[in-house]
This record gives sequence, C-alpha cells and structure tokens, in this order.
Amino acid sequence: MYQYNEVDQKLVDERVEQYRDQTRRFLAGELPEDDFLALRLMNGLYVQRHAPMLRVAGPYGMYNSTQLRKLAHIARTYDKGYAHFTTRTNLQFNWPKLEQVPDILAELASVQMHSIQTSGNCIRNTTTDQFAGVIADEIEDPRPYCEIIRQWSSLHPEFAYLPRKFKIAIAGGPTDRAATQVHDIGLSIVKNDAGEVGFEVLVGGGLGRTPVIGKQIRPFLAKEDLLSYLEAIIRVYNLKGRRDNKYKARIKILVQAMGIDAFRELVDAEWEHTRNTDLKLPLTEVERVKAFFKPFDYDSNASNDTSLAQKLAEDDAFRTWYERNTVEHKVAGYRIAYASLKPYLKPAGDVTDAQLDLMADLADKYSFGEVRATHNQNLVLADVKNSDLYSVWQVLTEANLARPNIGTLTDMTVCPGGDFCALANAKTLGIADQINRKFEDMDYVHDLGDLKLNMSGCINACSHHHVGHIGILGVDKKGEDWYQITLGGDDGSEAALGKVIGKSVASDEVADTLQKVIEVYVQNRFENERFIDTFHRIGMAPFKEYVYAPVN
Amino acid sequence: MPLLINREVVTDNWTLVKNEAFEENASIPAGDIIVPLTTYLAHNESLTARTEQVSIQINGDDDLTAVLENLDQFPLIAIDFPAFRDGRGFSIARLLVREGYKGEIRATGDIGRDRLAYLERCGFTSIQIDDETYTPEMLSAFDEMSNYYQSATDNVRAVYHQ
Repeated sequence: MYQYNEVDQKLVDERVEQYRDQTRRFLAGELPEDDFLALRLMNGLYVQRHAPMLRVAGPYGMYNSTQLRKLAHIARTYDKGYAHFTTRTNLQFNWPKLEQVPDILAELASVQMHSIQTSGNCIRNTTTDQFAGVIADEIEDPRPYCEIIRQWSSLHPEFAYLPRKFKIAIAGGPTDRAATQVHDIGLSIVKNDAGEVGFEVLVGGGLGRTPVIGKQIRPFLAKEDLLSYLEAIIRVYNLKGRRDNKYKARIKILVQAMGIDAFRELVDAEWEHTRNTDLKLPLTEVERVKAFFKPFDYDSNASNDTSLAQKLAEDDAFRTWYERNTVEHKVAGYRIAYASLKPYLKPAGDVTDAQLDLMADLADKYSFGEVRATHNQNLVLADVKNSDLYSVWQVLTEANLARPNIGTLTDMTVCPGGDFCALANAKTLGIADQINRKFEDMDYVHDLGDLKLNMSGCINACSHHHVGHIGILGVDKKGEDWYQITLGGDDGSEAALGKVIGKSVASDEVADTLQKVIEVYVQNRFENERFIDTFHRIGMAPFKEYVYAPVN
Repeated sequence: MPLLINREVVTDNWTLVKNEAFEENASIPAGDIIVPLTTYLAHNESLTARTEQVSIQINGDDDLTAVLENLDQFPLIAIDFPAFRDGRGFSIARLLVREGYKGEIRATGDIGRDRLAYLERCGFTSIQIDDETYTPEMLSAFDEMSNYYQSATDNVRAVYHQ
C-alpha cells in the first residue's frame, strides 16, 4: 500500500502541531466555540451525546499491521478499549478526551495516519472496492487513483468550506462494490472503444433525506484529466450549491434543480479553462503511485495445496465459513477472507483493542501485512493462501470474528443510533439484537442467501437504508421509536432506492415484520433466486399484502 | 479594521461604505471607497462622477457576469465572506485571477485565523480582519503548513510537479 514520503509525513506532522495550538487556544478561551467547531470538524472531531468522537481516516479502506497495532494502542490508552469501523471505511473512537486529541493525532502521524477531512463540509475519504487489486473482474486497480485524489483533496484551499460534505467513490470495473451510484461523485474505471482505460463519471448521487441515484456526466474521462475534471465539478458546486438549507445543500440537489445537461455545460465550460494547467495529471505520477500497489510476490506453488480440500471435507463449520466468508482471488491458490464484524448480539462494526492486535498478527502472518475495511463494516484479509485458510479461520473463531454471515441478513449495516448519536431519532442497536435473536438459526440464514439489510437511526441515512435490499429507518413518533421498512434497494451495479412497504411498525414488531417479509420471499422464490431478484420479479404487492394482512 | 497585505498589517486607504450611506440625508465618506456591487449598480452615475477611486464588494449571491467583463474598471475588488462557513469567496477569487484581474483582491467579512493561508493560496492579495478577531499572533497562521499537495493560485505547484 501507499507509503508516505517526506512531503506526506511533514504535512501530517505540521497538521498535528497546528491542531495542538488550536486546541490550546480554545481551552484557554482565546478561540470562540464556533470557530473551534469548524476546526475540530476538519480534524474529524465531533461532540457526541456522551463525549467527543474522533474519526480517523482509513484511506480507501487500507490499513497495515503497524497502523492496526497503533489503533489498538489508542483504543486501550485513550479510549475504552474498543473502536468502530464506519461505512466510509474509517475508524471512530467514541470516548477520547478533547484535550488528549492532539496527542492521539501525533500517535497517528507516527504511523502515517491522520483524521484530516473525516468530517466537515469538505472532500471526505475516497472509498473503493474492498477487493481492489485482487479480484479478477476489475479493469484496473482503483487504489492508485484513490491515493492521487487523497493527496489532491487534502487541505485543498478552495474546497474546505463547501456547501456540504462531499464524497467520492471509485469502482475498478463493471461490477460495482463501491456504491458509486450513491456518491456525490462516482467513478468507474472503464475501457473505451480505442482500448484506453479511463473513468465513467457519475455525479449527484447520495442518500440522506433525499436519496438520489447519480447521473452520468461523462462516459469517458482520460486519466490525465481526472483532477482537472473533479476540480471543475466541485468549483461549480462550491459556487452554485445551496447554502440556505443544509438539507438541500448536497450536490445532488443542485444537479436535480439544474438538470444534468445544464450542469454538465457549466462543468465543461469550467473544465476548458483548467484541463491543460498544472492539474493535468502526468502519467509518470500515475505510474509512481501505481508502484505502491503492485501485486504481491505470490507463491506459485500455492495452487498445489491439497490440505484445503481435505479440511473442507472434514470440518463442516469450516466449510460453512469458507463458503460464506471467503471469495475467489485472482491468483490461483489464494482466497480473499473476511473477518466478520457482525457477531451475535454485538454492535455492527465494533472492534476491541485485542481484535485489532489480532488482525494485525493475522495480516503479518498470512496476508502480506495488510487489512482492508469494507463499506459494509467488515474487515478483509485480501491475500490468504488456501493452505492457511484453516489456521486463519481458527484464529478468527477464537476472537469471535468468524461468524459465517457475510452478505446475509445478519451482516447488517447499522449506525450507532440513538444510544450514541445526538442526531438519531431512534435507537438501532436493540433492534439489531432483536433481529439477530429472531434469525439466530444459521442454516436458515444461509438458506436465505445474499440479503443486504441496512438500518439507520434517522433520515441522515448513515447506514444507507435506502440501498439495503431491506432497509429499516428509525423514526420518532411522539417520543417513541418506530421503524419504517423499505424493500428493493441496491447499491451494486443495478443501484436502486428501496420503496416503503407501508406504515411504520413499533419497536417490538420489527423482527416479526421482517420474518413476514422473508416468508413471502421463501414462498415465491425460484431455486437459487436472491431476495432482491424475487422482489423485482413479483413486486411490492405480495409483501405488502402479507405483512399488513388483518389478524384473524 | 486591520488590513493584511503580504502578511503584514498596513495602512488602509479604502473605506468600505454600506448601502445605507446612499440613503437620503446620509453622507458618503470622502476618499477612496468600496461599495457593494448592488449599490454600485444602483448609483452608478453619481459614483462614476466622483474624483476619488471607487471599487466594489461582491459576494456569492451576486451575478458576476458584468463584473468579469469589466475587470479593468476596478483597482480593487473586495470579496465578502458573510459567514465563515460560506466558502464561495475562495472560488470567486480564483475566477478573478484566472480572468486576468490584476488589481487588489481583498477578503472581507467573517475571516478567522484558520483561513488566512487558504485565502492567500486562492489569490487574495489583502485580508481585512475585524478588530475583535485580530491578534498579532494570527500572522503565524500563514506559516503553519510549509507545503501543499495541490496547485492553486499561489506559486505552489502540484506535488507531482515539485
């Protein structure tokens, strides 16, 4: 993965000292609260219901073992021994002390990490496919471009005070595992008719209060033009985006209001001025950054392994995990292995300091020292030899990281909800537990197959409920928590927004309602048909009818 | 109000005049003045008749088409930041520079310490700071970061060209 050079290191070091001084001036009463608010947000520090929350950037989901050990150390030393992976593949600490944050940032800088622009109305961490570089169906590894965007967007002087936050995602090919269609800008690596590799550019997607699927602004953008084109889009947005209402300030509202064609005209006019300036990305720079993401030195004998087949035949529990939590690697003899952060009755995405240390050890021993975070809040060891899978599974099992539920109903994406978040309208964690209890039977869950369940505690939609095959949204009704259920969402290549099934349900009825939805699916599905495909085939009506059937 | 040019406090020869000064019975100060664009357009005749210099203050709500076509009329253009969260002024400054504007580009309004370096990078040549906000210590904000990744309107080149 990318390694800092002197320029990168100096920048984060100076940033730490800058923030240390800002904190000092705030605590000394020299800096007004409102001014400090903007500054701490630029450094990923929120003030939550109980304490400040610090969000550390995990650039496009990549973490090395040294960084994981440092994060474990921070969790132990400055927090309560755990942390939380987010849907932007960042890591949050929920209990840091405001006055200790500069020290935490210094610890992070010592392992080439920072929290710059993990919050605030600026360009946030670029996300990508968790299988980047190791999956056969990609056109090119998107991570070098993520890194180039990271550098260009970091401390960008013009775009630190945008109308609203700004999120970019990149997919490496036609299969979208980065939810590019629901980002402010979604890039997909494509090959044009001339065989050149570039980007398809979507703009104006997003979730939150007004969920929108992004629209294509450019079918093909050459690599050299990446930064100038991004800058043109964001300059138009900075100048024209609404600032009178924070719920109408995202770029999706601007694009909707203007229409994509008028928006494109403005961007193209702007781009004409900048595409041949300093922003033109030299291909030598692309090559320089690519060198950090070269394929590892894979063992050419790995595919000769016979122990995996034997273990799969012998051990049912291992086979179940293998089938559900590992994915085919582009190199024969290797697999991509998940660590599930969705254990039974524990908050989704949480990890303890010990688990972070353990993942670091596993990475060093079995996966070239790297771990990836996914936008569904799980972790991935991307390069595990077939012959090592059994050992990896055993270690993960011991650490409660091997629940074989990736991509299933209990692999829920859940925000912290009303228990932690000041914005939430309703609690989520108890509902997740309720669902876990209802769907405890693993054979049943496996039989249901791929099913994406996303639950958000408010309409800000941090857990992307609109794009869950089943979405759950917590709403407040006269001080009580109620839950609205949507069906048919998807954040993959066939992105779609879920539709509301009917009136919201009380907090003790969520799992039962879900059960009814599942029953309709099971009764109607063809063999091996996924929930989402059955839904598309039979439509909402049978679900609605059964779920809201009068009780006899 | 302290005015910074080249990271130093300098004497300000301009007076920022609000629209109220043009109401009946009000008086417009003598000397070089800066007036809001809307006021400038409404009182164009009387203002062009003045012997002292007249410049404009613009903000993100203004239609800048006419301004961009007549840049050489103004020795100074002030870009206002009505609230610190309003970052349109950064882009407006870059547009002015790109259109070849050679006069003074002045930042006015809600300007705190943390934005000083960004203002400079986006092409502002002068920064006006409220009396309550200004402290001599603020000047050190310009030097907190010694390098940047991306090019802007200043002389920093993109990191891949450095």
